[in-house]
Amino acid sequence: MTREQPDALLTQAEKTWCPGCGNFGIMNAFRGAIRVLGERGVPREMIVMCAGIGQHAKIFDYMNLSGFYSLHGRSMATAQGIKLANPDLKVVDFVGDGDAMGEGIAHMIFAAKRNADITVVMHNNGIYALTTGQRAPTTAKGVRGPSTPRGNTEEPLNPIALMLEAGATFVARGYSGRIEQLTELMVSAIEHEGFSFLDVLQPCVTFNDTYDRYNEGTEEISGPLDFEAALALSRRADPVPLGLFYRGTRETQERAVAGERNPVRDHPTRQERLEAVIRLIGA
Amino acid sequence: MNPDVFTFLVGGRAGQGVKKAGEVAAHLFARLGRHVFQMDDYQSLIRGGHNFSVVSTAVREITSHTMKADLVVALDERSLNLHRTHLADAGVIVCDACASDGGVVSLPMGEEAEAYTRPELRAGVGAVACLCAAIGMDAGGLESVVRSEYPDADNNVAYARTIHQLAAARIRGRFALKKGDRERPLLTGNQAIALGAAAGGLDFYAGYPMTPSSTILHFLARHDEDLGIVVIHPESEIAVANIAVGAAAAGARAMVGTSGGGFALMEEALSLAGMAETPLLCVLSSRPGPSTGVPTYTEQADLGFALHQGHGDFLRIVASPGSVAEAYLLTAEMLALVWRYQAVGTLLTEKHLSESQMTVDFDPASAAWAEPVLGGGDGYVRYERTEDGVSPLAFFPSRNPVKWNSYEHDEAGITTEDAGLIAAMHDKRDRKLAPLIEHLKTLRTVNRFGDDGPVVVTYGSTTMSVLEALHVGSLTATVVQPVYLRPWPAWELGDLAGREVVVVEQSSTGQFARLVAEKTRAVPARVIRRYDGRPFEPDELAGELGSAFSDLGKEVPR
Repeated sequence: MTREQPDALLTQAEKTWCPGCGNFGIMNAFRGAIRVLGERGVPREMIVMCAGIGQHAKIFDYMNLSGFYSLHGRSMATAQGIKLANPDLKVVDFVGDGDAMGEGIAHMIFAAKRNADITVVMHNNGIYALTTGQRAPTTAKGVRGPSTPRGNTEEPLNPIALMLEAGATFVARGYSGRIEQLTELMVSAIEHEGFSFLDVLQPCVTFNDTYDRYNEGTEEISGPLDFEAALALSRRADPVPLGLFYRGTRETQERAVAGERNPVRDHPTRQERLEAVIRLIGA
Repeated sequence: MNPDVFTFLVGGRAGQGVKKAGEVAAHLFARLGRHVFQMDDYQSLIRGGHNFSVVSTAVREITSHTMKADLVVALDERSLNLHRTHLADAGVIVCDACASDGGVVSLPMGEEAEAYTRPELRAGVGAVACLCAAIGMDAGGLESVVRSEYPDADNNVAYARTIHQLAAARIRGRFALKKGDRERPLLTGNQAIALGAAAGGLDFYAGYPMTPSSTILHFLARHDEDLGIVVIHPESEIAVANIAVGAAAAGARAMVGTSGGGFALMEEALSLAGMAETPLLCVLSSRPGPSTGVPTYTEQADLGFALHQGHGDFLRIVASPGSVAEAYLLTAEMLALVWRYQAVGTLLTEKHLSESQMTVDFDPASAAWAEPVLGGGDGYVRYERTEDGVSPLAFFPSRNPVKWNSYEHDEAGITTEDAGLIAAMHDKRDRKLAPLIEHLKTLRTVNRFGDDGPVVVTYGSTTMSVLEALHVGSLTATVVQPVYLRPWPAWELGDLAGREVVVVEQSSTGQFARLVAEKTRAVPARVIRRYDGRPFEPDELAGELGSAFSDLGKEVPR
């Protein structure tokens, strides 16, 4: 999986994920999703990617796509800015579980609350990998790491339940080891109009190898479910449910704020703007 | 004493319409063709406390209020006691049913308001009626003012006529105001900033409420459709700045606004904009700090912070307007500069400019217009190493990927740790400074007022106070006001080296005086500082300037 064929979708950047890293599966699913979307009439230049900071985020350097390699925990905000400025784009934001459930959790909750029309793909390895394996907000209680040598003292967050409650209108979970299902979920998430949250179980072969657990202990669900059923199912830990939990319809942030306008495309001429300004000054 | 200035001061509790009465007075004076300066002093509360609005007007350009009021309308006892001391010679103080001693005109304003619903809200209307009576405006004139300015017009007009009649019996025509040459628009500093940004091509504004910047957000939100600007109020200043960076990367001319605490939260995103070379303009409107400080008052203690915002080496532009009209033109100019050089700009101002209102004389069409250097097409890379360091911009969607990056990156925007590339990309970004400075040399980066007498160096809203103080004190001086603070306009200020100068600023530690001394080698022989949250008062400042001027050249311990 670590050896890539030359591909217009990839850059020449050297891949520095560990051999066997779950991130490869996520990137392969994304490449597949771009191809499917292309067949459905979404040209690849309309897909713009963002990334936070962490092992997950290296996908930005590897994909030959436009976008913004943002800050730790802030890429959900960057992505919303891009989408607000140009609502024609499909904005896909790759985040880590430390990124999105820790440093940037407020942006996640508010992006869901306001139904920003972006897709957030959360590489969930249950650990901070790039910074050498500290506990993440998703790490189980008791797990030891360099910052918690006597074991994690906190309970983990439940990202699916959190995003459902916050108002996300597309909530799903995939697994980097099941690329076909993950590809389908990504396509649906990107196509969905509104805030899409895709939690992706991602083994970290160095700090938190969960391949055995997820190869055995997961179960595909036939979603979407109604909201309450989705919430109830999100609390089931064994087997871990995989698939589309919930899909709803609600006005998006971009439409609520700007209606049919595209701020970048509809940038006024200098003359139009001056006339509006002079009217307001009353000069 | 300012014989050519008439000043109206209205004071009362929050919720009595004090600020509104000041605004109505300001419009009334402007319609007489006069110049106006309105300063609102209010507390961080919604009901109660003590607020006042002071409106000074003249038939010449006026750049500050004065506390020496000719007509004071005190809507409560506290206002009466506080503002009696400010009364000008031959001034009149009107109060609401107070113990009427010498020189105080007591009118039953509150009692008369009881005949109407929500009597508390009528108080400001009563103050306007007193003003109209005092300047000899008849009841018909008052009625048209009240109808155009207040809701519930029938009741307010009836109430205003009652108070006008009572006031006229005591103070009718006490102050005759000459008409000025023509009516000028009235703008607050924040309105001028918002409109200047709009005139410069703004597409996107994000803000989180924080006094004294909030009225930029309010103004643009109210006029978003008139102007065609997207205006959002997200969850935090961190979100504000990062969303704006994303919007700018997608091609939207973006601006954010905040005060000191919010600006602190934006720092991380400003460094991001510095590394990714995302054009971004931030308005930092200061209030007394540190920390929560005094939210609704003024100070200039964020100068050092503004100059050094963000971590790391990157191109920062910092400028501060010295008047409301300059705020308009400078905001447009700053937006154009950050787009031309893909830089981070900070428009530094203070509550005293943001929230004061004055008549303005300028050509709105002379505003700059933000245009990036555009590229694209085959072989396009986001961070091309050009001669002047400015890499042409292309926006999504693009056949050649446009990759913005917070990590150090190669020309294509892909992360690098290569030693040669790290240095080369630093050099590329640093090269933008030289053409920026050449560009600034074509702009007005320093204002000079007068060319005789001692040199006074000041900046920002304090410039307005200094100019008015020199006028009322009949003092001769050369006022030097650097508009741009970074890059420092050294090419304009060479003559200050070795000179004794007087510095005026609103910082307890003299931040600006230190900057001036460091950058110009001038000697700040006197530093006049005010740091109690209040703007300088022209009469008091004139006294301080006068004594500073007479001390210049003398041996004095510093």
